[in-house]
Amino acid sequence: MKNTKKKAPQRYFDTEDKKSEQKTEKQHENVEVYNIKITPGLLQKHKFKSHRGHDRRPIQKGKPKKRFEGKAPIDPEKLEAHSRGEGVGKGVRHPLHAEKLRKRERKFTYAQEQAARAEILLTEDHGGLEVDEDSKTTAISQKIIADNVDISAASKIFELNLDFGPYRAKYSKNGRHLLLGSKKGHLAAFDWVTKKLHFEINVMESIHDISWLHTETMVAAAQKEWLYMYDNTGTELHCVKKMDKILRMEFLPYHFLLAAVNEFGFMSWLDISIGEVVGHYNNHLGRTAVMTQNPYNATLCLGNSKGVVSLWSPTIKEPLAKILCHKTPLTAIAVDNRGMYMATSGVDRSMKIWDIRNLDGPLQDYRLRSAPVDLEFSQKDMLAVGLDEVVEIYNNCCSQTTEKPYLRHRMAKTINNFKFCPYEDVLGIGTSNGFTSIIVPGSGEPNFDALESNPFQNKKQRKEAEVKALLDKIPAELITLNPFDITEVDVPSLQEQMEAKKKLLYLKPKKMDFTPRHKKKGKTQIARKKIIKQVARKEFIEQAKEAQKLLNLPEAQKTKKQSFGVLDRFVPTVKSRK
Amino acid sequence: MEDIEETETVASEHDRLVSAISKLDKTQHITEPTRNEPTNLSSEFNLTKRTNRLNLNNVAKILEDTAHHVQIGKKLKKTQSVTKVLSKPLEKPQAERIKRATGYEATKKKVGRWDPVVARSRTVDYVAFPLKNASTKLEPTGDFLTKLKLKSDLEKELDEIDPIPMVEDEEEEEPVLPMSYEEMVEHRQRLAKMRAQQSYKAAKAKRQSKIKSKKYHRVLKKEKLKQELKEFEELQKNDPEEALKKLESLEKARALERHTLRHKSTGKWAKNKLIRAKYDKEVRQQLAEQLAVGRGLTKKVLDNQSSDDDADEEAVSNVPLSQDPFNTWMMKRSDKSNINAEFDFGYKKFIQNKMNKQKDDSDSDSNDENMDDEDNTKNNELNVLKSSISKLSQGEKQDEEFSNEDVEEVEEEANTNVKATKKRKTNQTETQEIEKEVDQVVSHPLFKKSKKTVVKTKVSKPVATSNWEVEAIDDTESKLPEDVLSAFESHETSVAQKVEKKLGEIRRNIERLEKAGRVNQRETQKIQDTQHRDNVEYLKLKNKKVRAVIDEELIETSSKTAADVVNEEKDSDLSKVLNTAVAPVQISADSNIDSHRFVAAKPKYLNSAISQGENEYDQLDDDQVVPRVNIEEVFEEEDVVASFRQEKEDEINKDKPEDIKPTLPGWGAWGGKGVKPQKRKRNRFILKTPPKIPRRDENKGDIIIKEFKDPKLAIHKVKDVPFPFESVKDYEASIRAPLGNTFIPEKAHKKLIRPSVITKAGKIIEPMDEEELLVPKNRNFKNEGVIKLLGQKK
Repeated sequence: MKNTKKKAPQRYFDTEDKKSEQKTEKQHENVEVYNIKITPGLLQKHKFKSHRGHDRRPIQKGKPKKRFEGKAPIDPEKLEAHSRGEGVGKGVRHPLHAEKLRKRERKFTYAQEQAARAEILLTEDHGGLEVDEDSKTTAISQKIIADNVDISAASKIFELNLDFGPYRAKYSKNGRHLLLGSKKGHLAAFDWVTKKLHFEINVMESIHDISWLHTETMVAAAQKEWLYMYDNTGTELHCVKKMDKILRMEFLPYHFLLAAVNEFGFMSWLDISIGEVVGHYNNHLGRTAVMTQNPYNATLCLGNSKGVVSLWSPTIKEPLAKILCHKTPLTAIAVDNRGMYMATSGVDRSMKIWDIRNLDGPLQDYRLRSAPVDLEFSQKDMLAVGLDEVVEIYNNCCSQTTEKPYLRHRMAKTINNFKFCPYEDVLGIGTSNGFTSIIVPGSGEPNFDALESNPFQNKKQRKEAEVKALLDKIPAELITLNPFDITEVDVPSLQEQMEAKKKLLYLKPKKMDFTPRHKKKGKTQIARKKIIKQVARKEFIEQAKEAQKLLNLPEAQKTKKQSFGVLDRFVPTVKSRK
Repeated sequence: MEDIEETETVASEHDRLVSAISKLDKTQHITEPTRNEPTNLSSEFNLTKRTNRLNLNNVAKILEDTAHHVQIGKKLKKTQSVTKVLSKPLEKPQAERIKRATGYEATKKKVGRWDPVVARSRTVDYVAFPLKNASTKLEPTGDFLTKLKLKSDLEKELDEIDPIPMVEDEEEEEPVLPMSYEEMVEHRQRLAKMRAQQSYKAAKAKRQSKIKSKKYHRVLKKEKLKQELKEFEELQKNDPEEALKKLESLEKARALERHTLRHKSTGKWAKNKLIRAKYDKEVRQQLAEQLAVGRGLTKKVLDNQSSDDDADEEAVSNVPLSQDPFNTWMMKRSDKSNINAEFDFGYKKFIQNKMNKQKDDSDSDSNDENMDDEDNTKNNELNVLKSSISKLSQGEKQDEEFSNEDVEEVEEEANTNVKATKKRKTNQTETQEIEKEVDQVVSHPLFKKSKKTVVKTKVSKPVATSNWEVEAIDDTESKLPEDVLSAFESHETSVAQKVEKKLGEIRRNIERLEKAGRVNQRETQKIQDTQHRDNVEYLKLKNKKVRAVIDEELIETSSKTAADVVNEEKDSDLSKVLNTAVAPVQISADSNIDSHRFVAAKPKYLNSAISQGENEYDQLDDDQVVPRVNIEEVFEEEDVVASFRQEKEDEINKDKPEDIKPTLPGWGAWGGKGVKPQKRKRNRFILKTPPKIPRRDENKGDIIIKEFKDPKLAIHKVKDVPFPFESVKDYEASIRAPLGNTFIPEKAHKKLIRPSVITKAGKIIEPMDEEELLVPKNRNFKNEGVIKLLGQKK
């Protein structure tokens, strides 16, 4: 080893060692203590000595108490939230592959843990309105909100008075840009935060619906005859004559499909990345102007005049499912972001919440005082209900029955449509006289994933995201009720194959267990109903107990009555209770 | 002087004391004199116990006077030398074989060392090449720091003028030796060990080859046969194809053996005869017969499959010259009996005697075994069955023709016994007894069989010994000597093969027997059960009516009745009537649904806003919720619901396969217009379709979920479960988690998509050297399964 001649400067470990030395010295009490100036050479010698076990400390038995126990524990609930389900069991007997699979499983659990740990990065929390017990949140108007928030937030409350008739408004996927299209041909796109106008034109035709395409540089407008596409300067890019007389449009961002339904009930899906119509057929429902998309599985929900909601995919020319929601014509449909709930409203002034994932319901049945014009779910599952000139926002109305609205905003003009702005606590309302933007505290998702959709995207990021999105494009055929269909093995055809192979001579048939991972059949409706009933009953009993405790009622004293045997019937009964 | 004397006296006294003490144990100790003088006479006082071994060296030393004596001395020394003369080396092929065997083992061991290394590199997540990373030698800090320092111009100039002498690395270059000392020692030890092993084996082989004992060889052969049989059995279990191949090879070996026929003319007897043959015609005749036997044996057997016919056919075709009844030339001979008499000596006689003896031995053996087995039978039947296999195979050696019959008899016996037990068992209850019975069933035929073999051998004894006086049996008797001979010649070869054939049959029989036993058990059990049940039911009160237990919800619409109605009156134009008939059913279903369908969702009246135009005296936020009458509710269409339910029903019925009714109207009854077939017949001729799996929307009320296979989606779906997976569930679980960085954290993503082999660009990848064996991670790899799997590859 090398011997340094220079005196090394005092290092942090030197002092530490000194301390430890002192400790050892303290242990031996009857030893004289010499204070020695420590030089690196001496240190080395000393180390050498201690290595020889001259004055080695007694080895502690058992586990030494660690100062740092390693990584912080993860909340099991969070871990469960990121779970991908049960892993591969012990079905694989081949030792090598079994080992490899075990290693893979370990990586999956690592990924799960990492995801759970990464939640610490979601620093933002959604806000909300809190009021005293005796006052109501509906009493808080936009003016009060604007007075109490910072200037930049207050600037999100604004109103545009425009003259070209009823307007439809839509936000881009990242919530930064707003597109307005009016019945009288006014088409405008702008960055609504900075209020910077991209373009403003009048197409000199009626516009029935508008939609952003995959980026904010392209928009689609369903005009009187055909479908037109414009760029962010208002230049007409395409006139798609395959799609005519469109009533409603929806853009499916992960499939790059522009889905539309026209006056005659023809449904069409246009793949905007290759310019091809991937699905075009008649739905035989007649004219229907109520349409929305289910973001969970990219199916289209179409409401017709008979109160039936039907779900459609481009490849199958029949509805995937039909739900009889109301007995009267439907006025609006909304599906929440996770694809859990669907809200429908009919002319009968009722509004119902359905479990769209399991295709079940209704979970809730509300009766309103007037028929809703439009419905919309926010990212945090707030439901906006448009009632002519009033917008009511309900919070927590799906899983439990709500009592009253969370927020109410009254305007002097009738509502045409509204959309919640993604990643913002903003609701944009297209009205007969323009556009109104209001703040709904706690409606938007506070934490955004910049790789998914970034409100603060610059040009380069946008371009990159576009390429990535194109690479990740999902084929139109995968639009089914259950988006995880693709992860399942096609068991019937597998069985067929196996059968065919069994017929071959001199071939040892493979053993195969056909039970799928997820059984299709869950609990029956009746069983679930029973469970719900039981839960409700339990809750009620507990509530009753609590109430009794609060009231502090003296328990009914049951004094034993004197019995006269057969002659009891002649004893006069006192009707004190009841 | 006195002092000296005193000391002497002390010493002498001490000696006396010592001798007195030594005398205490009363044995005479004559000590060897410590001092001696060379004398010619051996003094009688110096008698000591000495080893009476002669030291020959001393003797030889004496004989050094003359040359002759020297030679004798040398010889004497030689006789005493311990060294032995090297034994004669083994035959070359044998030695080579041994060398190969030891070499193989050594190499196997040497290569086997790599197993854990290979197994680890296969199982590990990724392997990074080159395996040896850049040298971990640390650079001195000063050198490292100088790289980071910028030199000033002055310094640079100075350097130019007076360059810093490069510090040479003073590493002692160790002389590169092919091996270190330890390695060399190890290597030598290994070599020595190998050599030793080789020599042990050689010695063993030599010793074994020297053994002349016939008994030993017989035992050896038997052992070999047994081993082979065992191996074959195992093979049959594990790999039938391989077993078939083995069978083929056995067949081939047998053919070869037959072809060589070593014992044709090499025996003592044959040699003697050969000498005499020149002068004696009879002897020539005998020799010719012998050769004819050989020829007969080498002749191709036509039918290999039926082993029973085998011997017969051979016998017919291989009739020796002397006995051929159709050979007139031979029949003419007058001294036929003479030949026969003469045939009874020497080689033949020896064989015959031997055959007889062997038979007796094996008979007694089998009897003994039988006695032993009786105890075992009580323990479990399987053992017995196994032993019976072995016995049967033994029996074959003696009388192959009979073994088959025996087996059949065993079966019959067993069957009859089983039947008997069946009949008897109906009353009995305990299953233990049944088992006992089964045991008996199994053990019984064995007894019989062994007896039978004894009987058979008794009968065949005169036949086998070929007592030529017994000429009454004309045809069979002619075969006998050949039978014996062939039995001897092709004994080992054929037995092995036949055993294989028989083994299969026997095994099947055993299985059948076992099954019969099991069936028997089961049946008796059943009978007991029924009896039991009968008893219980007898005690029970009779139910007057069978009531349906209403546990589950009714199906919302009675689809079946509707369908039936439609089917029956399809032609008639009473559809309107039909509709009306269906309607009440649906109404009832409707009420059924309403009772519990909307339990969770009671209509909640919300105090929502009312638009200005509609109602001006609107009181918002009033606590009292007034359910208002819905005007729309009044006008809402009931028809909507009905039509939707009809649609659902149609949807359900659409893919429901209908029952097939292949009734022929008028067949066996009156036919014609208006004549309905009998109800009994209608019910009889319906092919009911299997019940369909429940639909997804079965219990969900007013929801229709279409169930069809989407062909466009099916293209994307996996149709086959790949190799290591044996269940769909496992495979689906293996593809359940996403890998992309949009779904999981970047770190996990990187970990999941890391390639299994990573190579550094521009680096030479050297093959592994033996140091890799010493790397702790390789040494500590302990996945036996994987090591075994990768190691067993040939």
